Amino acid sequence: MVEITTRGADLVVRDTPKRGGVLPRLAAWLAQERVFRLIPFILVEGMFILVIFIPFLLTVYISLLRWRANRPFETASFTGLDNYYSVIGNDQFWLAVGRSFYFGGVAVALELLIGFVLAMLVSQTTRFKRLYTTVFLVPMMIVPVVVGYNFSMIYVDSGPLNQLLAPLFSLFGMDPRVRWLSHPVAAQWGIILADVWQWTSLTFLIFLSGFSALPPQLVNAARVMGASPWQIFWRVQFPLLKPAIVIAVVIRSMEALKLFDPVVLLTFGGPGTSTQTVAYFLWEQVWVFNKFSFGAAASILLLLIFGVLIYAGIYLLVRQRAIVEGRGA
Amino acid sequence: MNRCLVVLSAIGLALASSVGAATANDPVAERAVAGAKQYVKDKNLKDPKLTILLSSLYNNSFPDFARRWEELTGVKFEIVPLGYTDIPAKIMQEGVSKTGVYDIFNDFPYTMPDAVGAKVIIPLDPYVAKYKPDFSGIADGLLYQQNYDGKLYTLVNDGDHLIMALRKDLVENPQARAEYRAKFGKDLGCPDTLAEWEQQAAFFQTKEGETRWGIKFEKPLYGALGYRSINFSYRHFPAYMEGLLFDRDMKPRINSPQGVSAIKAFASIVQYMPKDIQGWGTPQIYPFWGSGQAYSAMSFPSIIGFGESNPQSTVKGKQLACLIPGKMVNGQLVRRSPQAAGTGYMVSAYSKNPELAYLFIQWLTSPSVGDEAVAHPKGFWDPYRASNLTNKAILDRFGADFVKTTLENSKYAASLLLIEGNYEYFKVLDNNLADVMNGNISAEEAARRIETGWNKVTADVGRENQVRIWRKGVESGIYLDKF
Repeated sequence: MVEITTRGADLVVRDTPKRGGVLPRLAAWLAQERVFRLIPFILVEGMFILVIFIPFLLTVYISLLRWRANRPFETASFTGLDNYYSVIGNDQFWLAVGRSFYFGGVAVALELLIGFVLAMLVSQTTRFKRLYTTVFLVPMMIVPVVVGYNFSMIYVDSGPLNQLLAPLFSLFGMDPRVRWLSHPVAAQWGIILADVWQWTSLTFLIFLSGFSALPPQLVNAARVMGASPWQIFWRVQFPLLKPAIVIAVVIRSMEALKLFDPVVLLTFGGPGTSTQTVAYFLWEQVWVFNKFSFGAAASILLLLIFGVLIYAGIYLLVRQRAIVEGRGA
Repeated sequence: MNRCLVVLSAIGLALASSVGAATANDPVAERAVAGAKQYVKDKNLKDPKLTILLSSLYNNSFPDFARRWEELTGVKFEIVPLGYTDIPAKIMQEGVSKTGVYDIFNDFPYTMPDAVGAKVIIPLDPYVAKYKPDFSGIADGLLYQQNYDGKLYTLVNDGDHLIMALRKDLVENPQARAEYRAKFGKDLGCPDTLAEWEQQAAFFQTKEGETRWGIKFEKPLYGALGYRSINFSYRHFPAYMEGLLFDRDMKPRINSPQGVSAIKAFASIVQYMPKDIQGWGTPQIYPFWGSGQAYSAMSFPSIIGFGESNPQSTVKGKQLACLIPGKMVNGQLVRRSPQAAGTGYMVSAYSKNPELAYLFIQWLTSPSVGDEAVAHPKGFWDPYRASNLTNKAILDRFGADFVKTTLENSKYAASLLLIEGNYEYFKVLDNNLADVMNGNISAEEAARRIETGWNKVTADVGRENQVRIWRKGVESGIYLDKF
């Protein structure tokens, strides 16, 4: 039996409780307005505690122990901040962090540039727009393992990329057989290019939606007032696209700093450590060398470093949105 | 269509019957089967099942043996295949999570030290005493590798010790032979030393389009092939090192004239290999060898089988299997063939039926079934014990010359580093060797860095225990060299 009552502005719908049963009484309690509206909040908070907060606390706890997984956990002992000192004093960690910023910086810059140009061209085209959009989005949908495998074939020294580049290199008297995966510098670019190929799709998508959302009245008005195409782009369209640019930068930077798949699939961090990113470094320390405590401490430090950057990114995003909406300076 | 089905059925039956015949007249296998039946009866197990974490390389061959085991004992198998690079982490995860989902782990013996430390695998000595497996005809280096810290933890059914493969057609080419003899005063053939290998590699290095010894080389001929990438260099380096990697107190021996010389020799021959060799693993090296673009290869033994059986191979019937080249030490030729991989079977400490798991392993590695496995056309088990020499199926599959050579070579088989944290020691070595090969640092600098890196790992894992295990391993003979 359903009972409908009104209390103030709230409409309360609840099952009439049957006397005596625990479940019906619980149902009735849950159906009360003051309780019911808290349920989603409690679920979300519960998930947050279970999925993020407890593992985080566990990671902090493990980072304070001396424990390698080649010893049972019961033998772990408390060592305070020793692991943090070890991480801070580890050259390879900082080199891997530096490499992650280098790979991420170059890759994201290229992805933004290429994605922006492609989006601009596609937004202006009148024919086959859907076809172009679909084609440019395909790389993002391919499983990273497949991308890695394909690039490992492309990069073989007698492979298609070198064959394509050979005429160009021979013009300058250079060796056309670039060691894409075994030369320290070429391997770094090999990984960057694989990442750019796959993830330019995302920046393209973000910019395309940005171009689609531009109000045509402003462009038309500028054109009527005699603005050149360059002025229209630079003075009208580009400022309005800034929020989209910031979104692309923040999302891709966060992902690029965690670069892992192409490193494992193409070089295993080599030759030497020349392509070892911080994500790969952590994976290796924990899952290959079993240094769980060291890895936990490195993760926490990394979280702090990336946290500052992400905060700065989000601050920029909010600021740009406020500017566009006319709420800020 | 029907004819195809009949042929396929016949092949299937032949394969099944060949596996089925495995236990006949083999008391080791028979004891395992009888023991398993008795175990199931005593424990009153309903629907007994074993679960194995299997290297995915064996996904096309292991199920034949699992089926046969089920027919013989009623014990079913659940196979969980995984890429071999991921298996060590999975085993260590089980050490933390203790789920008990696996009964048997299939991996290289090199995972054993960390797994023992984490107490995720158990010693098999009590079962060995009870069921008496047969380890006869296995060379010392491979045999002792089943043990760690004085206890037996894994049963190995694979001889993955490195060999040398040469192009027989080029070695036997009269013009090449004459030119080589005139130049070096020695007949062409299997190189005795690593220096001689490099000499031959330099001699055969040929540019694209050149005509030499009556042969027009449409593609370049590289003098040598070898594993020089991350995760592989460490498997080959011990062939170059004179003696042990550490002294009695685990002080690294790498930063010594011998160590520096080994690093230089390891890096020097790269000039006769394909330019991007540092990015190559087996998926690149085997096909390249099969394409006929290299004169020689130091590799896992299965490269010969690949060259003979791959449909696209151009080196079929043109391969010469050789003993691993060595080094002259105090006027004596010393060969070391690193057991670079090798598949073994360990029992999980969290298995509900560890004895049953052991019995399967004894059955699979018994002389008769083990031979069947080595002969399996889709398997990756390589010849490793004396009985392989007289097994017709194995001789048919690999060729008598190769089996004879690889068995002879097994006398020089030595284990890679078998102590806790070994993958970290390996990585320190690999990284620095790569830097030398790329010309970033000198061999001397690499030796210093490796020494520092190895000392750090030893201190981190625990020096006292490392020294104890290291001494025990050396004294057991797994590295062949002694203090």
